[in-house]
Amino acid sequence: MADVQLKEVDKIYEGGVHAVQDLSLYVKDGEFLVLVGPSGCGKTTALRMVAGLEAITDGTISIGERVVNNLSPKDRDIAMVFQNYALYPHLSVSDNIAFGLRLRKMPKQDVNQRIAWAAKLLDLTPYLARKPRELSGGQRQRVAMGRAIVREPQVFLMDEPLSNLDAKLRVQMRAEIAKLQHDLGTTTIYVTHDQVEAMTMGDRVAVMSMGVLQQVDHPQHLYDEPANLFVAGFIGTPPMNLFEGTVQVAGDDVTVTLGRATLPVAPACLQRYARVRGLDGRVVVVGIRSEDLHPASARPDNPTVEGSVELVEALGSGLMAYFRIDAESVRPAAVEAVEEAAGAEGIVAARPNLIAHFPPRLDLRLGETVPIAVDTAGLHFFDRETGAALR
Amino acid sequence: MTTLEQAEAAAPRVAEATPGRRPLLAGNWWRYLVSLAAMAFALFPILYVVSAAFNPVDSLSGSGLIPDTVTLDNFRAILSGAPGEAGSSEAALDIPYKNWYVNMIFVSGATAVLSVFFGALAAYAFARYRFRGRRMGMMTLLLIQMFPTFLAVVAIYLIVLRVGRVFPAIGLDTLSGLILVYLGGVLGVNTWLMKGFMDSIPDSLDESARVDGATPSQVFWAIILPLATPVLAVIGLLSYIGTINEFIIASVLLDTTDKFTMSVGLYGFINDKYAQQWGTFCAGVVLAAIPVVVLFFFLQRYIAEGLTRGAVKG
Repeated sequence: MADVQLKEVDKIYEGGVHAVQDLSLYVKDGEFLVLVGPSGCGKTTALRMVAGLEAITDGTISIGERVVNNLSPKDRDIAMVFQNYALYPHLSVSDNIAFGLRLRKMPKQDVNQRIAWAAKLLDLTPYLARKPRELSGGQRQRVAMGRAIVREPQVFLMDEPLSNLDAKLRVQMRAEIAKLQHDLGTTTIYVTHDQVEAMTMGDRVAVMSMGVLQQVDHPQHLYDEPANLFVAGFIGTPPMNLFEGTVQVAGDDVTVTLGRATLPVAPACLQRYARVRGLDGRVVVVGIRSEDLHPASARPDNPTVEGSVELVEALGSGLMAYFRIDAESVRPAAVEAVEEAAGAEGIVAARPNLIAHFPPRLDLRLGETVPIAVDTAGLHFFDRETGAALR
Repeated sequence: MTTLEQAEAAAPRVAEATPGRRPLLAGNWWRYLVSLAAMAFALFPILYVVSAAFNPVDSLSGSGLIPDTVTLDNFRAILSGAPGEAGSSEAALDIPYKNWYVNMIFVSGATAVLSVFFGALAAYAFARYRFRGRRMGMMTLLLIQMFPTFLAVVAIYLIVLRVGRVFPAIGLDTLSGLILVYLGGVLGVNTWLMKGFMDSIPDSLDESARVDGATPSQVFWAIILPLATPVLAVIGLLSYIGTINEFIIASVLLDTTDKFTMSVGLYGFINDKYAQQWGTFCAGVVLAAIPVVVLFFFLQRYIAEGLTRGAVKG
């Protein structure tokens, strides 16, 4: 067990691409830290630098007491789980698991003991004699985990280990890995592009974008108090609704105007976003989480905005209602990156700009214009130029 | 018609269509025709050689494809080292066929094994490491392959001659010298072929092994080499056959009858314009072919795999 410290780490590739910029990150002993961000944000590069598979251009990386900048991967006492599992195709499951132990010249008896222990832990005992190609995706994934845990390394590094599994299995393995890590108590750095995985698994989550660390925090803090527009747009499903709004300050009262609607900002919100008070007449970015929106009938005390119903998705436990409201919406880079990956750029303009999470069995007709109550205690404010939260 | 009725109507037809016994040759008779033609094409020359080997008459033109009498005399003669008509003056000639046989296996085997080994080392470096001169090195290897080895036969002769003065063990008229020359000839193309194959082995396997604690040489021996077995088998076999067939360089470098390889030695039987001993020659050829055929049988599985791998994602 050991902590991991990255100090002002830079990675500039030969072609001049600045993949990771000035990354400082501290992972506590036994902690499960998730590195999350859209593809190309430098998270995998960061992980590979910790593993020693990628040389660092500048800065220091230490594992425990040791600076490992110039150590080869085998001397860093780490284990890594790869996205494609990287199982040795010519070796059986038990040989795959034992590979690292045998390289370290561990006595045969101990090796067998460890294999049996890992296989039992991961439900692999019946498959020990099989070759990787005779296993299902989930089983292969577990073999990769087994190969990592038998070594009892100081740090686990996991590079999108679940992205090759189908959705259902992914949810199941998510819980299993989190539990395994908790039981073993091994420091873990886990890379994913899936923010749900990040939120559910990590003790803390580090959000990266364009090679720069945006925010590191506990999942709930990340959700409640995003440091900037990128984190606000990236964390949370559905993403936060973001609009341009004009702030008006009159004595103690602060209001924000979205299109034609003027919303008084609740004092609780002003406590969190203290700088908003000083921005009378300025245009800022206003963020509203979908669960802070309610049917007007349910919250008669809350101010409302008018929106036309564009689409309703019934989830059983609730409704996902898509509205178009008369306000200038803001699309942070995070949302655009996700959309680009999905090939959905072209239809952005015609899209609904407000997503609300409503209770189930609500009668919403498409095209109908309805009042939507906004719980203004939950509003978020960001600087329009820098994207920083106005705290 | 309802869906159910449709299904019922279709059912008996389905039953009819299930094959009880497929009539022989039905429909694809032409496939058998093509395969027969291919077999005839491949077997025809072999048939001639085998027939001549068992034929007591020593000429080719005088004998039909099926000999009148079958004899093992040719084999006996070549193995006892005394070919030619019994009682004739040539009987006294000592023909060390067994030596040639051993030489052939030794030279070809060593060339195959060493060229696979060195080629794999070079290919691993080219496939996995980035170093100064990597591209140049590969291009040079390819460029050299454009010229057949026998273009350099004079240069090779002179080099081996001079090297032999300092290191007689690898000089002219030595098998080790010959092997070295062969290795130089085949390494280039072998390296390219193996590099191509190794490129198809995912990098993450190396990385995983390195994280698991393997040194670069352990990665090579424990991961890359076992996974490259199919291509190693193909290349080994091709080098082996190529070396057995090679004549020009061997005939230039080897002098003593004892040291001849099979091709140089056998050539002696048909070299003499007025005393060509085709029967003995063919017997020698048939025996010499056995190790190749045996190897092919053992490596068949790998060869098919090695030649097709990389075409589709493994």
